[in-house]
Amino acid sequence: MEIFVQLIVSGIALGMIYAVIAFGYQLTFATSSTLNFGQGEALMLGALVGLSLVSHMSYWLMIPLVLLFGALQGVFVERVGVLPALKTKSEFGWIMTTISLAIIFKNVAENIWGHDDLTFPSPLPTSPMQFFGIRVLPMEILVVLGALAIMLAVEIFNRKSIYGKAVVATSNDRDAAGLMGINTGMVITFSYALSSMTAAFAGVLVAPLTLTGATMGVVLGLKAFAVAIIGGLNSGMGVIVGGLILGIAETTTGYYISTGYKDVPGLLLLLLVLAIKPAGMFGKSVIKKV
Amino acid sequence: MNNKIKTIVTALAFAASGTAFAADSIKVGLSGPYTGGSSPMGISMRDGVRLAASEINAKGGILGRKIELIERDDQADNPRGVQVAQELINKERVVATLGYINTGVSLASQRFYQEAKIPVLNNVATGSIVTKQFLPPEFADNYVFRTSANDSIQSALIVKEAIDTHKFTKVAILADSTNYGQLGREDLEKALAVKNIKPVAVEKFNIKDVDMTAQLLKAKEAGAQAILTYAIGPELAQIANGMEKLGWKVPMMGSWTLSMGNFIDNAGKNGEGARMPQTFIQEPNTPKRKAFITAYQKAYNPANGRIPSPVSAAQGYDSMYILAAAIKQAGTTDGVKVREALENLNEKIEGVVTTYNRPYTHDDHEAITINMVVMGKVQDGHVVYANEADKGIAVREKAIVKAKK
Repeated sequence: MEIFVQLIVSGIALGMIYAVIAFGYQLTFATSSTLNFGQGEALMLGALVGLSLVSHMSYWLMIPLVLLFGALQGVFVERVGVLPALKTKSEFGWIMTTISLAIIFKNVAENIWGHDDLTFPSPLPTSPMQFFGIRVLPMEILVVLGALAIMLAVEIFNRKSIYGKAVVATSNDRDAAGLMGINTGMVITFSYALSSMTAAFAGVLVAPLTLTGATMGVVLGLKAFAVAIIGGLNSGMGVIVGGLILGIAETTTGYYISTGYKDVPGLLLLLLVLAIKPAGMFGKSVIKKV
Repeated sequence: MNNKIKTIVTALAFAASGTAFAADSIKVGLSGPYTGGSSPMGISMRDGVRLAASEINAKGGILGRKIELIERDDQADNPRGVQVAQELINKERVVATLGYINTGVSLASQRFYQEAKIPVLNNVATGSIVTKQFLPPEFADNYVFRTSANDSIQSALIVKEAIDTHKFTKVAILADSTNYGQLGREDLEKALAVKNIKPVAVEKFNIKDVDMTAQLLKAKEAGAQAILTYAIGPELAQIANGMEKLGWKVPMMGSWTLSMGNFIDNAGKNGEGARMPQTFIQEPNTPKRKAFITAYQKAYNPANGRIPSPVSAAQGYDSMYILAAAIKQAGTTDGVKVREALENLNEKIEGVVTTYNRPYTHDDHEAITINMVVMGKVQDGHVVYANEADKGIAVREKAIVKAKK
């Protein structure tokens, strides 16, 4: 039993990492029906920028700067990669542009920070805490809380503030929002800024647990994409549940079946969801009128 | 001004004539991962080879010609390695190629050298089958050589350390899912079987995995007294850190990659005491080693004076000298002649790892034998001799009688 709970706890920590990255996919999809396939690289850049800053200041002081960097990076991606594709009404142009930007970011990072995986100093004690025989790293708790906090913050912002309402309006119906005088172009740029900001934040959250390096975002970005699909690309609740399912499936399959197959159940679920409910477990299917 | 134009024109003419110009230098290919998780090994290997090549060139080169290294990044990626091999053979027309850190890349690429009859010296890749891909009777001659300790040697030493020295009876194997990890796992299982021991758990993980809880819990529940590893630096660090998280600390022993800088740094105190077989430990206990370490530090100025992967650097350095000696003896850069010279080297080569006295024969392409390999351990961020006694016996030559098959 103790082992089972330990696996669940580790799965939750892992799942929340996936969830917070998946949340970034959602933000841009809601406003513009485009995704930033460089989400993993946005996370990586956030972590590496954070690593460079953290030697000059405390971890907590570094976070706002990384958030700012993430937002700017998101704006850059949108302006360079997505906007031209949206302007030309290219259905799939943004897929290639965001992927190629991701590769460029990775190469730039390799040139600046080198090819090796680096250690990110942990702001919290690195020895685990014990609760009834279950061992948790303080950093894992911070990841779960931090991920929930940023998602909550973005949700509150969207619901309460006037700017947030513009975002919601744009997600509901971009044309109508435009007619109501909302600058939908700005809203889309803004959603990219938010999206990369959450990814950069996720980067500095997970970096002390994982290793930091130019390639750290590749696998995380891909798994988070699976989470976004499982949970539904327009459901905030969906990514959290999706993340937890994938994270827990990984750790428990690894233990009870075989560590060689630990990625299989999550991907089977992905196939299943796509076959039965393509909008995701919590997604609303939209009827497209032609 | 006029002169300058003349030089440019001449240079262009030379460039156009291509091969005529290239004949002035001896082109040696260098294939290794200079990016990604294997890069500390790749870069150390490359720097070791560069160091040897520049020393040889400073003394006038070979056959009166300079060595020119054609360096290519294979990114530890099998298809990329194949591209590099084809480029080096067909476009650059190299005399021989040194390199290969990753067993998978080596296995995928070297058949092109075999077909082109160009020798290839594996100076880091350890997979047992690396030198056994092209054996008689199917292939009359084998063009694949090695200057590293293969996995059969490494796994035998790891098992010896765990079972004979530490008297453990229950061990778990954790290996990554690459060719390297899985071939190494097989070798470990074979070496354990010789001692009539079956591992209590055999677990797998992927490159870039960030959570090792499931693997470690299985090993823990099975009552493992030690973890035997076959993986590379970053994931090994995750294992060491994962053990700390679970509050379960047993000795870690594994292949030589436990000496990688990215394991030692990222595991920090959790990596202390990890043991691994080594052909070279950064310790100036012979004049040759002292000269090599000083020259390396002077040329590349590594952080804290620590060579990122001392084993790779030393084996890379030695492989260049062995090749140079063979080309000199052959008196030509013809691949067949160079291979014959390698298999029958008259010159004794004083290398960093050992003194090479007839390192290869027609049927034996392994320069390193088990007696040359010592156990190292991680201590205060460095790899040191695990057994103080090994420090004294610095140069061990190739064992004459070798266990065959």
